[in-house]
Amino acid sequence: MAESSNLKEAGSFKSDLLGAIPGLRAFAVSLTQNSDRADDLVQETLVKAWDKQDSFQPGTNLKAWLFTILRNEFYSQMRKRGREVQDSDGAFTARLAIHPSQHGQLDLQDFRAALQLLPEDQREAIVLIGAAGFSYEEAAEICNCAVGTIKSRVSRARTRLQETLKISGEADFGPDAIATQVMGSSVT
Amino acid sequence: MTKPISEPRAGKPSRKSGPTTDVFGSNSEIARKLKQYHDELLSLEVPERFAELLGKLEQAEHAGKTSSEGKAEG
Repeated sequence: MAESSNLKEAGSFKSDLLGAIPGLRAFAVSLTQNSDRADDLVQETLVKAWDKQDSFQPGTNLKAWLFTILRNEFYSQMRKRGREVQDSDGAFTARLAIHPSQHGQLDLQDFRAALQLLPEDQREAIVLIGAAGFSYEEAAEICNCAVGTIKSRVSRARTRLQETLKISGEADFGPDAIATQVMGSSVT
Repeated sequence: MTKPISEPRAGKPSRKSGPTTDVFGSNSEIARKLKQYHDELLSLEVPERFAELLGKLEQAEHAGKTSSEGKAEG
């Protein structure tokens, strides 16, 4: 009898996992910046989640639980690969500005590139909050840090994206505008 | 060279963090692009392998249960 109810739960657990896959993949791509690695990560996450399903409290947020597993898996893979997790001030974040392709119109391609330039902790924070729809509390739990930390990461991510994308009034003064000036009146 | 940035303090209790659109406030272009970026990822077709994987996990679990039952009986 307990058995049959377990099986029933397992059935719905499976369909809940299936339903969570698109969101997990999106998060995995945001973390890894690579679709093959992202799918491997999702696969690992599903296997882990399946094994640990008894530790999931029914009625709590399955999506947040799965995101936590995925994120932990991602960072443990990174450690295994011996890659240092960049911190917020990582040298990787070159002061590389991407200029809006056309007259201040921000292209999705530009945005993606700018997102990639963010340090991982900021990128995951802004994706969890601004895209995946988690609350600060949930995001803090997923990232195993304080709510205030998530807030400051989101805010720094936003500032950095703004800088990189030259949003906020500066958009019209990208290199094109300057180039046009330098080239002088030949462009009318 | 990077100058150390100290983690800002959690600060005064700010408003309850509910829906988060206000975080982006005036930067709605970033908020919009972020959504667009995410929607695009969400809309990607999910490879069959994931459904297959879950099917296998389910089967394995089921088989495990039946076989242990069988052993218990035998």
